[in-house]
Amino acid sequence: MMKKRIFVAMMAAAMAMTSLAGCGSGAGKSTGGNAEAKVEAPTEPFGDTIKYDPSVEINDGKDISVELWEWGSDDLFQQVIDGYTAIHPNVSIKLVNNPWEDYWTKLPLALDGDKGPAIFNVHNSYHENLINYMAPLDIPLEDLQADFTGVDAHVIDGKVYYIDYGMMTGSVYYNKKMWEEAGLTEADIPKTWDEMREVAKKLTKRDGDKLIQAGLNFNDDFHQNYLLGLNYQLGEKLFQEDGRTPNVNSDAMKKVMQMLVDMYEVDGVGSKDFGEKGADSFGQGQSAMVIQWGHYYNTLKTTWSDIDFGVFEIPTFDGNPYAYNRYNGESTFGVNKNAPADQQAVAQDFIKYFLANDEAQINFNLAMSTFPAKKSLANNEKILENPSLKVLSEHIDHYIWPGPMPSTVETSLKKAGQDIFFNGVDIDTALNEAQENIIKDMKNSSFVSVENLYAFDK
Amino acid sequence: MFKKTHPLQSKSEIILRNIVVTVMVIYFTIFLVVPIGIAFAGSFHEWNPLSGTYNFLGLANYIEVFTSGLFGKSMLNTLIFSVVVIFFRVGLGLAIAYAIYSTLVKHKSFFRAVYYMPVVTPMVAVAFVWKFMYNPQIGTINQIFGLDVNWLMDPKTALLAVMIMTIWKDFGYAVVMYMAGLYSLPADALEAAKVDGASAWQTFRYITLPLLKPMTLFVVITSIISYIQAYVQILIMTEGGPGTATYLASYIIYDEAFVKYNFGYASALSFVLFVITAVFTWLSFRVSGTEE
Repeated sequence: MMKKRIFVAMMAAAMAMTSLAGCGSGAGKSTGGNAEAKVEAPTEPFGDTIKYDPSVEINDGKDISVELWEWGSDDLFQQVIDGYTAIHPNVSIKLVNNPWEDYWTKLPLALDGDKGPAIFNVHNSYHENLINYMAPLDIPLEDLQADFTGVDAHVIDGKVYYIDYGMMTGSVYYNKKMWEEAGLTEADIPKTWDEMREVAKKLTKRDGDKLIQAGLNFNDDFHQNYLLGLNYQLGEKLFQEDGRTPNVNSDAMKKVMQMLVDMYEVDGVGSKDFGEKGADSFGQGQSAMVIQWGHYYNTLKTTWSDIDFGVFEIPTFDGNPYAYNRYNGESTFGVNKNAPADQQAVAQDFIKYFLANDEAQINFNLAMSTFPAKKSLANNEKILENPSLKVLSEHIDHYIWPGPMPSTVETSLKKAGQDIFFNGVDIDTALNEAQENIIKDMKNSSFVSVENLYAFDK
Repeated sequence: MFKKTHPLQSKSEIILRNIVVTVMVIYFTIFLVVPIGIAFAGSFHEWNPLSGTYNFLGLANYIEVFTSGLFGKSMLNTLIFSVVVIFFRVGLGLAIAYAIYSTLVKHKSFFRAVYYMPVVTPMVAVAFVWKFMYNPQIGTINQIFGLDVNWLMDPKTALLAVMIMTIWKDFGYAVVMYMAGLYSLPADALEAAKVDGASAWQTFRYITLPLLKPMTLFVVITSIISYIQAYVQILIMTEGGPGTATYLASYIIYDEAFVKYNFGYASALSFVLFVITAVFTWLSFRVSGTEE
């Protein structure tokens, strides 16, 4: 969550590097979306299976105002709004920014009344607090499935309330300067964890006994970037067959945890006491490699622009994994079911416009460093220019989304890891405690894993 | 509403009193009594106000509180944290206040302001600065003392590190309180001690300290109430870690309510903590002999 907040602050800056050049085909009419930039409004229908027809009036052409709530990256949203209102000048969409910390308390309370926003940005980690206030998307399920991957995981009683526009996951970021200093070349990029550990050793520097450069640093985020994902490589899911019982004390999880311990305590490629956070340590030039999720690409570009870095796909245990890693979706907007009918109609139309609009999809995915869920954009040139997305392109269908997991899964595993590294607790005990904590915390949760929807499910 | 009880009270004074009291009663009813009542009712429910969940559980939340190993551990941490911080807050506060009070010290207002500055600085800001100072690689504390300690992630030092920060931030409050107490001491008592030939230590031990007892009690009780509720420094500096090594009781309430949205259990924890706070406050009165 902290990473999310930091990233959101970066997004506006990142978006300055991209531009919205209108959408669709055919001759466009030029309409002033705002005083500074004129937006090309398309006149012909555009989109893949989900088509958006700009000639269809909304609200019978009568003026209408709606609100769109989000928690950051205003420019990104404003560009989509400008594109939409250029087509429908009778529609006014007011963008309302609430900081992340406030957003998730204010939004559900607003949606519970009759003054809530018609459109709101969604993050799937707050699924349970939002879903009761959402109207299903007014787009045929088959059309959504035809254009976007991962739709099935969002189907509730035959209806879809939001989907993913992008998929975010972890990759290895390495410092090119340190890589060269260690005598490594592109040919040394590791494919397996054994190779990764050898490379990490070469990248590690010590002054006597004192570690001065970590070959690999996973401090503070080992639970997100290793424990909750590498289990899939070994064929184990995060939840058992019933989809509700956690599986965090599995043999796979223990093996991953043991590997992390060995990398620090046997290989000596890093230390629990070296760099409070692996991501920061890499950015500060103290660590040679980190595994981070897509948002880190833009973080490096904006916060630590001096670091010359490369990206490669996460290694596997045997080169032929059941799945490479876990991913999480960046969600499309939601429609407030308690909003007046005319506002809901605008919200539905706006979301359809967003889904059909390739340029908006590309911009959102580049800004978030997420791989597009829109199938037609999988090989898009702009997307593949981003190294953090390019490395995912070959195996993106071999990543698993477990569903909107309650936060206790992450926090319990973080505590388990800290107990192992700092408090001297053995791996079995720590993971068993995590298992019990998650079961206790989830007893009132409606969460059911969607791991069984993985295309290559055993 | 209120009858005239004193012959000197004017009608306008009675009206003003009625208005002020009525406003205060309404204010505290809306913003204190009603929320407490809602929370108390919620403590018997599975309750998530954001998703609209509200299912009756009976005493289940309270049973969970009293059978939770984490709550027991956090209460022990809270006890250690409170006792140590209050001890040093009172001790340092009294010592420095007495030093400033001395006729040998000039610029008393300056010192009083300096010691009070951390108190008025937001805890969030102070916690972030100290977290940076405790950083094992680039933190000033390790660099100044030539140490190699991971202060906030070593279970032996993490709570200690948070306590040191809290003492630094808060002892200025006791300084100001004790200075107010010292300046209100009866001059004749001190003069009498001097005439009787009491040494400085004897004067402090047998005259000043007993006369400051009400102020000490006030500082201790407000500190107990404050430190049993402490969680901001934990949230920022350790997040309860490593593992659960620095969990305080109020941090669990925060975690349950605003991370897990388990408001029912959090409410039950709050009421248990409320009772514990009340007991400690009563004990403080008993120990000081000022129960009445």
